[in-house]
Amino acid sequence: MTALLEVDGLAKNFGSVRAVDGASLAVARNSITALIGPNGSGKTTLFNLITGYLQPDQGRVRFGGRDITGVDAGRLYRRGLSRTFQQARVFPQLTVQENLTVAAGFSWRQLFGQRMSRADRERVGQLLDEFRMAPVADLFASELSYGQRKLLEFAAVLMSEPTLILLDEPTAGVNPVMIETMEQHIRERHAAGITFLIVEHDMNFVMRLCNPVVVLDRGREIFTGSPADVQTNPLVLDAYLGS
Amino acid sequence: MGGRYLGPVRGVVFFAILASLPSFNLAHWILNIAVFTLMYAVMSSAWNLVGGFAGYPSLGHAAFFGIGAYATALWFQHHSISSGYEPFQLLPLIGLLAALVGLPVAYISMRTRSDVFAIVTITLLFVTQTLAFNLRSLTHGAQGLSIAVAPFSAATFERPFYYTLLLLLALAMGISLGVMRSKFGLSLAAVRADEDKARGIGVRTFGVKLLSFSVSVGLTAMVGGVWAYYEGFIYPQFAIDPLVTIAIVLMTFLGGRATLWGPVLGAFLLETAQQTLAYSLGGSQFYLVAYAMVFLLVMLLMPRGIVPSIQDGLRRRRRRATVDGTGSPEGRSRPPSAQDRTSATAMSTVKGHA
Repeated sequence: MTALLEVDGLAKNFGSVRAVDGASLAVARNSITALIGPNGSGKTTLFNLITGYLQPDQGRVRFGGRDITGVDAGRLYRRGLSRTFQQARVFPQLTVQENLTVAAGFSWRQLFGQRMSRADRERVGQLLDEFRMAPVADLFASELSYGQRKLLEFAAVLMSEPTLILLDEPTAGVNPVMIETMEQHIRERHAAGITFLIVEHDMNFVMRLCNPVVVLDRGREIFTGSPADVQTNPLVLDAYLGS
Repeated sequence: MGGRYLGPVRGVVFFAILASLPSFNLAHWILNIAVFTLMYAVMSSAWNLVGGFAGYPSLGHAAFFGIGAYATALWFQHHSISSGYEPFQLLPLIGLLAALVGLPVAYISMRTRSDVFAIVTITLLFVTQTLAFNLRSLTHGAQGLSIAVAPFSAATFERPFYYTLLLLLALAMGISLGVMRSKFGLSLAAVRADEDKARGIGVRTFGVKLLSFSVSVGLTAMVGGVWAYYEGFIYPQFAIDPLVTIAIVLMTFLGGRATLWGPVLGAFLLETAQQTLAYSLGGSQFYLVAYAMVFLLVMLLMPRGIVPSIQDGLRRRRRRATVDGTGSPEGRSRPPSAQDRTSATAMSTVKGHA
């Protein structure tokens, strides 16, 4: 079986900086794969390249067997490849319900339908119940705490029924209870068949949740293996601690 | 609950009052003010589609006003006016033409954002004005163009213009309401808030931007067409006038961007004030100083405009009432009470209709 996502020799330069330098990795279907690495190793840039926010200078990306290199982010989203951002990005002037509705990936015809149809409300309601956010459904996203915004952003990408979700530091800047909540939601969705690729600095979180772990250093993958192996691998220790 | 009917009732009352206004035998100068007020109300509403809902502050709308004005003037260089209603019948065509011209303009200019977009569009305005001055064979340059005087009786001369503009206002506000109630408007709101994120979650950002710009300038051009016929004589510096752009932007900011009533309210306040002052103080340029003052006051006191400020106040008061009413100290973390739900629906109703 081929991997759901295959990244092959991706490279991206910003001026003279090689942010991503021939990175390759594969995300197996229905895995929770972690992508870790020291600061500046190119994790977020790699995310941006995969999800169509940036155009790579070299290399290919395949998703579900199809070449998606350089395809527009919105189109990828509608095809089932979603992401969240390191700094939670929600629409502050929209309500929680609207934030979810707008993420459903409308066709042209749907654009001229009701802003929030009964079907939208039902679908959004289920998701809000699942995320225990029903009490804040009518608040503006600007009124939510940072942790709730992260949760909302995660819930929103589920609206498009994605097959692969890329999470960029889902636990950064949120409290321990929220980290547990986030972990639980990822597990539930994983059980429901969604594949994850997660960038994360919280190693406990990664060790509990992810397998395999891909380590990135200076824009290139240096190791792929189980969480236990990663902790003892000299290459990885060297990348983090320096030689 | 009455909240649900508040919006439609408000709309019906508003248009009923406006429709009956000319039958009160008002003086011509008052009806003249009313005609200009309606013109600006339509244009502010139209501008709001792009500048408000999509968050793209176009400063080039006066160019499309001018295109509409010149389209009317040029057409009636070659066609005669008999019943007097021909220029009004031409309006849909003018709107369509301007909307089509608007598409490539939007295609190019909407690759830029916020301040750069404002500069690009104001450049368009000056380019259009320069063309109007210099394409003499077509526009007669600075000499201007004249249109046959409308053969309406002097006693009710303003009425056809007034009612045409009232129809256009209903159209503009109807489109705005449709936008607000649809996923199209939801998409525009997402574009306004964070366009890159919106694009990334599959919102058809470019399409909705283009379409709202096109509709917006189409409406603006139709007002230009009515204006040219009403004035009877057009010059480049008045047909394509940066002050028109500034006025509609200011009116929308004053009343409140991205609301249904904000632009209309702004136009009614500013245009009536300006015209009345012009009548009482004489035709000085004093109103320009007043514009600057209003701009400053709006930015200082109500940076989001009148309607959103009132909505915020209502929302806060309602929430306080809900919290006090249940006496629950936990505030919003508790499960929603029935009271919460009603206030939430009332809130969304207010939002929907405002």
